[in-house]
Amino acid sequence: MSQPLILLHEEALRTSHPVFKAALQGTRAIFVWDDDYLQKLSYSLKRLVFVYETLCELPVDIIRGDTVSVIKELAPSQLYIPESHKPHIVPMINRLKLITTVEIIKDEKLVQIPDTTDFKRFFKYWGLAEKTASLRNGGVDA
Amino acid sequence: MEKLTKNFTNRDELVTYVKSLAPWSEGERSYIQGGRKKADIKLSNIDPVAYVASRNFGDGKITRLSPYIHHGILSLNEVRNHALTKCSDPIEIIKFIQELAWRDFWQRVLALHPDWAWNDIEPYKTGFTANDYADTLPDDIASGETGIATLDAFIKELIHTGYIHNHARMYLASYVVHFRRVKWQVGAKWFLRHLLDGDLASNNFSWQWVASTFSNKPYIFNLENIHKYFDKLVDTAPNLNKPIDASYEELHRRLFPNLGSSS
Repeated sequence: MSQPLILLHEEALRTSHPVFKAALQGTRAIFVWDDDYLQKLSYSLKRLVFVYETLCELPVDIIRGDTVSVIKELAPSQLYIPESHKPHIVPMINRLKLITTVEIIKDEKLVQIPDTTDFKRFFKYWGLAEKTASLRNGGVDA
Repeated sequence: MEKLTKNFTNRDELVTYVKSLAPWSEGERSYIQGGRKKADIKLSNIDPVAYVASRNFGDGKITRLSPYIHHGILSLNEVRNHALTKCSDPIEIIKFIQELAWRDFWQRVLALHPDWAWNDIEPYKTGFTANDYADTLPDDIASGETGIATLDAFIKELIHTGYIHNHARMYLASYVVHFRRVKWQVGAKWFLRHLLDGDLASNNFSWQWVASTFSNKPYIFNLENIHKYFDKLVDTAPNLNKPIDASYEELHRRLFPNLGSSS
C-alpha cells in the first residue's frame, strides 16, 4: 500500500520546516539528486558540497535520479513539498501534480502581509511590513 | 533509482564523492560548511546591534547566515526571533530586521512576477538600451584578472569561498554592468554559479537594482568608496585601481555620456 512522502528541495533543508508538521509523524522524507536539474543550474562544486553536507545531517534519503521518475516509482499516496517560487522548481512541481496528489506547504512568515500585495519598491512593502517585522513570530502568537 | 550514501569519515571523502556525482561542476570546496550544526553556531554568534553600526564595512559584524537562510536551514522567522533576544529594544536592530525583510520582499516579487527573474523589469536608465550591453562575461572578469586590484580580490574571494560582502557584490555588479557594459543577466548567472547563498530572487533583483532596470538610477562606485569600507582588506593603491579612481561626476560623464550632468 502506498505511503505519503515528503519531497524536500534545496530551499527547505531543515526539519523545523512546516512541511514536517503537515505530514504525519514518521513520514519518509527524500531529496532527489537530479543530475539534469543540477547541471542546468550550473552550480559550482562548492555549492553542491554545501547542499550535500546539509543533507547528511537531515533524516532524509538522498535518491539519485530524474525527479518525476523517482516519484513515479515510489508512487506515494500523497506528496508534501515545501513552497518555492524558483522557476526551476515550479514546473517540476506542476509535473508531479499530474502523477500524484501534491500539497504545497508554505514556510513560516517573517511579516503579516497578504501574499497577493504587489509593491514594486521595497519601501512601500516596508511601510506595511514594519508593523510586524520586529515582533516575535511576526506577531502571530502575540 | 539509487540511494546515495550519507556516511563519510571526513570532509575530503564527502567532497570527492560529490565531485564523482557531478564531474561537470567547476572549482573546489569552500571553507564554509553546510548543515544545521554550523548554522546554529553562526546564529548564536550574531550581534545584531553591532551589525547595525558596522554592516557596510568589509570587517563589520555581518552574520554570514545567508547561505543557511537561502537553503532554508534557518528560516527568516528563526533568525529574527533570535535577534530579538540580543537587544533591549527592537528599534536597536531595525536595520538588521530590514535586511531580513529585503529577502522576504524579493521572494514576494518573484512569486507575483516570475517572468521578472531574467527579464528587464524596466528599461535601463543609463542612456543606453539593452542591446548596447554584451551577452558574455569577459574572461578577465570571470578569472579575477581585470587589473583592478580591489575588484580582483573580491572576485577571487567569490570564486574560492562562495561568499563575499554585500557591498563587494554591489561593486562587482556595477563594474560588470556599467564599467564593462555587460548585460546584468550575464553577471547574475555568474554570481549564482558561485554564491553559496545564490538566491534567484535576491540575486537577480539586486542586479536589476544596480543596473537601473529595477530602480530609478544606475548604482556606481569609486575607489574612494572602496577605500572607506574595505581599507586594509584589499589593496586600494590608486596605481593598482586606475579605472575606478575618479570622482562620481567624472565617472558619470565617462560611463553614461548620453545622460548629461549627474546632478
